[in-house]
Amino acid sequence: MQAPLSNSAAWKSLITFTILFLAWVSGFSSRLFAVIRFESIIHEFDPWFNYRATAYMVEHGFYNFLNWFDERAWYPLGRIVGGTVYPGLMITSGSIHYILHSLNIPIHIRDICVFLAPIFSGLTAISTYLLTKELWSAGAGLFACCFIAIVPGYISRSVAGSYDNEGIAIFALQFTYYLWVKSVKLGSVYWAALTALSYFYMVSAWGGYVFITNLIPLHVFFLLVMGRYSNRLLVSYSVFYILGLIFSMQIPFVGFQPIRTSEHMAALGVFVLLMAVAGLKYFQSVLSKSEFKYFFIASSLIAAGTVFLSVVVLTYAGFIAPWSGRFYSLWDTTYAKIHIPIIASVSEHQPTTWFSFFFDLHILITTFPVGLWYCIKKINDERVFVILYALTAVYFAGVMVRLMLTLTPVVCMLSGIAFSRIFELYLRDEEVPSNNKNESNAHLYDKAGKLRKMKHEQEKESDEIGTNVRGIVVIVTLILLMMFAMHCTWVTSNAYSSPSIVLASYSSDGSRLILDDFREAYHWLSQNTANDARIMSWWDYGYQIAGMANRTTLVDNNTWNNSHIALVGKAMSSTEIEAYKVMLSLDVDYVLVIFGGVIGYSGDDINKFLWMVRIAEGEHPKEIKESDYFTDRGEFRVDEEGSPVLLNCLMYKLSYYRFGELKLDYRSPAGYDRTRNVVIGNKNFDLTYLDEAYTTEHWLVRIYRVKKPSDFNRPRLPLSNRKIRTKSYITKKTSRRKKGSIPGKPPVIKGKKPVRT
Amino acid sequence: MRPTISLFCLVSCVFIFSNCNGQVKTKSISLSERVEQLSQMSFKRSVIKFNPQKFKDFVKATPRNYSVVIMFTAIAPARQCSICRQASEEFNIVANSHRYSATFNNDLFFVVLDFDGSADVFQWMKINTAPMFIHFPPKGKPKQKDTLDVQRVGFAAEAIAKWIHEQTDIQIRVFRPPNYSNSVAFLLVLCLLGGFLYLRRNNLDILYNKTLWGVAAVFFCFSMVSGQMWNHIRSPPFVHKSHNGGVMYIHGSSQGQFVLETYIVIVLNAAIVIGMIMMIDAASKKGGVRVRRIMAILGLVFVAIDFSVILSIFRSKAHGYPYSFLI
Repeated sequence: MQAPLSNSAAWKSLITFTILFLAWVSGFSSRLFAVIRFESIIHEFDPWFNYRATAYMVEHGFYNFLNWFDERAWYPLGRIVGGTVYPGLMITSGSIHYILHSLNIPIHIRDICVFLAPIFSGLTAISTYLLTKELWSAGAGLFACCFIAIVPGYISRSVAGSYDNEGIAIFALQFTYYLWVKSVKLGSVYWAALTALSYFYMVSAWGGYVFITNLIPLHVFFLLVMGRYSNRLLVSYSVFYILGLIFSMQIPFVGFQPIRTSEHMAALGVFVLLMAVAGLKYFQSVLSKSEFKYFFIASSLIAAGTVFLSVVVLTYAGFIAPWSGRFYSLWDTTYAKIHIPIIASVSEHQPTTWFSFFFDLHILITTFPVGLWYCIKKINDERVFVILYALTAVYFAGVMVRLMLTLTPVVCMLSGIAFSRIFELYLRDEEVPSNNKNESNAHLYDKAGKLRKMKHEQEKESDEIGTNVRGIVVIVTLILLMMFAMHCTWVTSNAYSSPSIVLASYSSDGSRLILDDFREAYHWLSQNTANDARIMSWWDYGYQIAGMANRTTLVDNNTWNNSHIALVGKAMSSTEIEAYKVMLSLDVDYVLVIFGGVIGYSGDDINKFLWMVRIAEGEHPKEIKESDYFTDRGEFRVDEEGSPVLLNCLMYKLSYYRFGELKLDYRSPAGYDRTRNVVIGNKNFDLTYLDEAYTTEHWLVRIYRVKKPSDFNRPRLPLSNRKIRTKSYITKKTSRRKKGSIPGKPPVIKGKKPVRT
Repeated sequence: MRPTISLFCLVSCVFIFSNCNGQVKTKSISLSERVEQLSQMSFKRSVIKFNPQKFKDFVKATPRNYSVVIMFTAIAPARQCSICRQASEEFNIVANSHRYSATFNNDLFFVVLDFDGSADVFQWMKINTAPMFIHFPPKGKPKQKDTLDVQRVGFAAEAIAKWIHEQTDIQIRVFRPPNYSNSVAFLLVLCLLGGFLYLRRNNLDILYNKTLWGVAAVFFCFSMVSGQMWNHIRSPPFVHKSHNGGVMYIHGSSQGQFVLETYIVIVLNAAIVIGMIMMIDAASKKGGVRVRRIMAILGLVFVAIDFSVILSIFRSKAHGYPYSFLI
């Protein structure tokens, strides 16, 4: 009996390990819905590029990858991939591949890419445990770990197959924060250097590293303002800042940004401030009080003035770039809507409704303020950090749906604190007697009688709230947590586990129909077109075409060149003749459009069409006007009342070519669009400059071949203008034999049957 | 029947110039004189005020080599056109931006016509809404698209400038006189705070009051989590009033929300948080046993009831969501 009790530390660590392991396993397995239902496949859009880049790196080696110039994207510009990508993801999976292969485990790189995010979610859970343990207690850490393992807000970016930067970046984020909190606590160079290393990994993985670059200085700044300066802070921040700065500049894509852009200036400013404070503290110990007063005022004025002036001057002189549009739109929330349609067009960049908060975080979103409250009530250096983390992340998540991802970890941590406090307090009465027994055994020969009495009094008091109330509270809280787990599973299975390149529909008897049109079309392209064929599509599908069909694209999901995208948008939204000019100038061979009208797929190109028009209008305001695409009453509709400009533009024609002949079922009329639930307005038209090349089974993807100028009947030149003179051909028909005659034709007399001879 | 000024009711204007051309033959001023007079007037005020006579002389007269953008409005308070005032402010901004721009020349004039005093012009143009922006091109009559579609694009200065650019190829960079009211308000609040702190400088406990900071932080979280930022950017209606008089408090789809709905969510969230804090405090603090027991039960009831309410609202928005709790 006594052996396990005296060994409670061992029990504790065993339970901790078990819980962490189970959290990892359940987190991993709840991310596998897509693999089990469909297959081990890369999802969506961006992951296809990451996969392609990873495969390139594994095949050609790391240095060739850094120097890779991709001539298959952004035709005719091309893209320097090595210098415009965060390589952390590719290096991570590439090195896993390397290690496994040197251990003679032959695994395909695609499988590593598919399962990378679920595996890293386990690491995220563990680093969240560590961070919360530093901030509050081990129990809160275990709660937070379990929450983050299954919470939909994080699963949405880390299901198996969604091979994207965020999958590993959240781990890097949490781990960096853990190391930072640890180094602030201990004030050791060792932990601060580790923080900088972890920060380096984060910089290599995701553009969101700017969040760290601003949050840690903010933490330091608030500690200074609150008068919590200490030498630990000085050591950890200066080591972290200098090492982190040098490390982050090693990433080719980041380059000199850390010393030249406004996003990184806060870190520098806080560094200078911290140094100034440290200097003042030193002088305070040397100078007398009255001397110090003058010295303090003078030096602080001078320091503040020089820092401010130098930043302003450098910004105006162009050494420091002002805030980039994406970051600027976080502060001035209406900025993107007016000025940058390409940012506003992405659905991830929309503001967040309360519904999506609740959808992604369920009970956590309603309980995390409790954790925040207790962190503020019992404040210390580390908790200042988590408070700032929560407040900034909740603001960013409110502005952009996409940044829900950075809010999720902190919400898990704070809710973990809240729930662990409840269970700690309400489950205590079972522990207290046993603890007491243990202690009374241990203190059998202790004569400190007073101490024991106090313990007894406390015990009595804590018991007085009543076992029934305790029991009810615990049971209800457990029910709430169980509901959270069910919600997470439901959301994961229903909302976040579709690969989006394979669609599934369920018929009334529950049987499943797989729509594999995307891969059908891409496979067709890879088999039936020339190797250097150039394919025009809207930018959403650029990565998929490059990844699956291995063909040259004009624009893709890396939206770095707005004018190029606008050119494609212009081609799609102008008439066939105008579009043909654009397509000729861009050497387009095939055009690919997504059309959901047959199966009722709402994410098709007609529904995205207004963004094409808007982006095109931004660059070509003369030719394209958004108002032309609306009806007089300001509606966007494709039926007979739709605006004639819309009904004759290239996108409309390519989507609805020969659709007017199609009767989907006997109840609906021909040309009935199931996505928009209307009969289309312009049914009978022919394409002059394009040929239908391929249409997939459910019409989801339609591919058209662009005719070359040589394909047409060229206009007839008068004989005198011809450079190559041919002999003039004279018809042999003379006036005498103008009418052809049929030999043996029966004489036809009106009103009588012809008599056959 | 007197033409009533109704706001934003849809009208399709048909411009019948030919009918009236015969009537206008009073005194014709030559083109150069007209341009001269117009530019002099526009030097005095960037938006020229017209009466019916001037309208005939400068707008209906041919030939012209200048465009005229006319705002038909009803500024008089008696007309109760509240947006006319805003519209005319925006119109003034555009006119001033044009007037003081580097590329200013005599081919575009901004004109305002008030209903009081020029009612016959309104009648003749068959205008019965205000404000209305019509562009009169140098050649020919205004067409359908020479009327600014106020309903769709609004009458912000930028929208007007863009519309003018579309019609006349004259690019006007809108220069708004900077709006200091926000910064002044901010400074005022800052001064008040600073003054307050200065007065209480011997007793700065309020800065160290954790409850105050805690309430502020938690409230900030509530406002963000309930989607106030979405309200700020999308500006949805407060509630939805349907045609048969019913009022909808909750938006039916997961894509949208009403302002009142977000307030309800704030209240529910706050109740859950308060309930949970009550439960924790009841178990951790010392004090009367009865009070603590009641606090614990009350907190539990708060959490359970309010969470089930918020869950049922959520379920009504997410179609096909299978789980519910209590309700």
